[in-house]
Amino acid sequence: MLRIENTLFTIVMLIYFAAMILYFLFIAVKRDRLAEIAVWLQAAGLILHTAALICRGIGAGRLPLTNQYEFATCFAWGLCLVSLLFVVRFRFPVLGAFAAPLIFLVIGYAAMQSREVHELMPSLRSNWLGFHVSTAIIAYGSFGVSFVLSVIFLLRDKMKAQGFMDRHIPDREMLDLISYRSVSLGLLFLTFTILTGAIWAERAWGSYWSWDPKETWSLVTWIIYAVYLHLRIRRSWEGRSAAVFAAIGFICVLFTYIGVNTFLPGIHSYV
Amino acid sequence: MHFAIFLLILLAAACAAGSLVTQGQTYMWYAQRYSERTAALIIALHLDDAFHSWWFILITAFLCLNLLLCNVLRAPQLIRRSRRWGGPPVPDPAPSYDASAVCASEEEARGLLGRLGMRNIRESGSGEKILYACKNRAGLWGAWVCHLGILFLIAGYSLGQMNMQQYTVYGVPGETREIGDSGYMLHIDDFRTDYNEDGSVRQYTSDITVWPGSDPESAASATVSVNAPAGLFGMKYYQNSTGWAGSIHILKDGAPLMDAVICAGDMIRVPGKEDLVIILNVFYPDYQAVPGSAPVTLSNEVRNPAWLYSAYYQERLLGMNVLMGDEPLTIDEYTITFTDPRNYTLIQVKRDPFTLLALIGGVIAMAGLLLAFYVQPARAWASETGDGSWQVFGNCPKGGALFRKRFAAAAEKQTE
Ligand code: HEM
Repeated sequence: MLRIENTLFTIVMLIYFAAMILYFLFIAVKRDRLAEIAVWLQAAGLILHTAALICRGIGAGRLPLTNQYEFATCFAWGLCLVSLLFVVRFRFPVLGAFAAPLIFLVIGYAAMQSREVHELMPSLRSNWLGFHVSTAIIAYGSFGVSFVLSVIFLLRDKMKAQGFMDRHIPDREMLDLISYRSVSLGLLFLTFTILTGAIWAERAWGSYWSWDPKETWSLVTWIIYAVYLHLRIRRSWEGRSAAVFAAIGFICVLFTYIGVNTFLPGIHSYV
Repeated sequence: MHFAIFLLILLAAACAAGSLVTQGQTYMWYAQRYSERTAALIIALHLDDAFHSWWFILITAFLCLNLLLCNVLRAPQLIRRSRRWGGPPVPDPAPSYDASAVCASEEEARGLLGRLGMRNIRESGSGEKILYACKNRAGLWGAWVCHLGILFLIAGYSLGQMNMQQYTVYGVPGETREIGDSGYMLHIDDFRTDYNEDGSVRQYTSDITVWPGSDPESAASATVSVNAPAGLFGMKYYQNSTGWAGSIHILKDGAPLMDAVICAGDMIRVPGKEDLVIILNVFYPDYQAVPGSAPVTLSNEVRNPAWLYSAYYQERLLGMNVLMGDEPLTIDEYTITFTDPRNYTLIQVKRDPFTLLALIGGVIAMAGLLLAFYVQPARAWASETGDGSWQVFGNCPKGGALFRKRFAAAAEKQTE
């Protein structure tokens, strides 16, 4: 099973790469058909990626959510899923084009991690872990999409000069609404992640909140997105500062995910 | 709202600062790690215990006050708004709308409201006939419910921090220990370690019996393992950790003086000569000396047991050395041996009734977010125009362009 997973993983990486190139070509040569193919390719990649994760789950005899490699590949999966949903729902292939490099970067990061399957330490043997990490994947995926939307929002005026982009990038109000949708999806899932994480920590370590760096940074992320929501309600900002906060939020997400493990080891240092 | 945003950013910055500085260390530690000036700054700003510092608590308190006031002030507004949404559109001031369309007849107007998802279409009786309906009114309360949940959460956490009782109890099977000053006793019935095929630990499990010191008759038993705490007598018991222990035997002039259990890290005073203290520093189950550095253990199996002890007399170090197996240590007329290595279990005992409040707060906040984001309140109404056609209006403050599109699509179907 793990061999199949390995092969599938390589194929998925190639597909994501091809989708990224097609998305780029779509913008470069301004052919809508290329975007359509890229979306289909991304969808095919997602299906195979799901199959790869299932194979790993079967091979390891547990949910594949417990080490750096597994979380990174799931993160890429979440990004791919949420971006695809938004691309299709809002007919917004330019979003796909901006999300593709991010997906490729994350799956590339996964590829650099050790793929060995280890037995779980006792504290990781919990159903709450499944809820905790799977909700984190959707949250991170949504925040990745809102980051991409912020970048598009902030670059929008520059890109709008071209008629092709004008047709493919929604107006400010719509962009703001799509960004709000992605942040709200992310925040809802992040709240669920923090809650299930707290329940799990209480059962595993006897304390539901210990100000461990990873916990603290997930709270920082949560607060940053709350700031985004409140900035957005005040209509005077014209979207820019909210977009900046959505972008900062994702930088916090990345710091929580990678930075904390690297610079601030704590109780969470195994994921 | 400005102040709220400011407070939230401040809180995020405070959390970030607290996480960047290793918490709970001494001035010396920080001075060694950074510099003396930085260390002094860390101590002066309470950054060594940032999350319990006065400024952190102050920011949180302001945030709570702000939230509380906001919710108290908004409640009557929300009730009024909620009522207004449930009733017919008042002419003064005319309700704002996001989209409108003209329908040829009342029938068609009703059809359009239906397609917008309005189930319960009502008519205003007085004066001209108006059809009106609304859906998802609960969504109006999303932010309010979320804020309420956050208040509960912070209250639960803070009350817990102030009132929580927490103890650690450790020992080997067969031992009885007091649970701190709680008045309860804990007996360790058994302790097991399960292993995976590759030799790594799968689970630690302790069987325990607890009773109030004054009433041994009411003893109750439970099994605790990692991720599966147990509750007895209003307290929760967690399998926290484990380590090595052994039996210590002290002979005086060849005659047994003391037999006791000693866990790694524990100290024992020799009976009758309390100034003589023996500490079991480390137990190595599979000892391996490493020239020029500290010894190591090659595995967790008891293959080549060794005990690193230190002995003090009147607080002066007499010696520190390794005893292999049952090898005796002789100090004057005393002979000391360590035998029977086994694992001790460390149980954390906790009473925090406010955990439930925090959990309820978290769940309420989640529900609030769900309401705020996914239960979009919308209303629509229709009135007859002079020429027999009907004008339909739709209002969905959070729907924006998407609502307008949906409305237009629903109206389009009408004309088809
Ligand atoms: C000092 C603290 C806070 C104050 C004074 C405050 C105040 C407000 C106000 C006045 C609104 C507008 C309500 C409305 O439009 O119905 C709002 C919306 C909201 N707040 Fe807060 N808030 C605070 C903290 C938080 C925090 C920490 C969160 C956590 C996520 C949060 C979540 C929300 C949500 C979800 C909304 C609704 C946003 C939307 O519907 O787009 N608030 N807040």
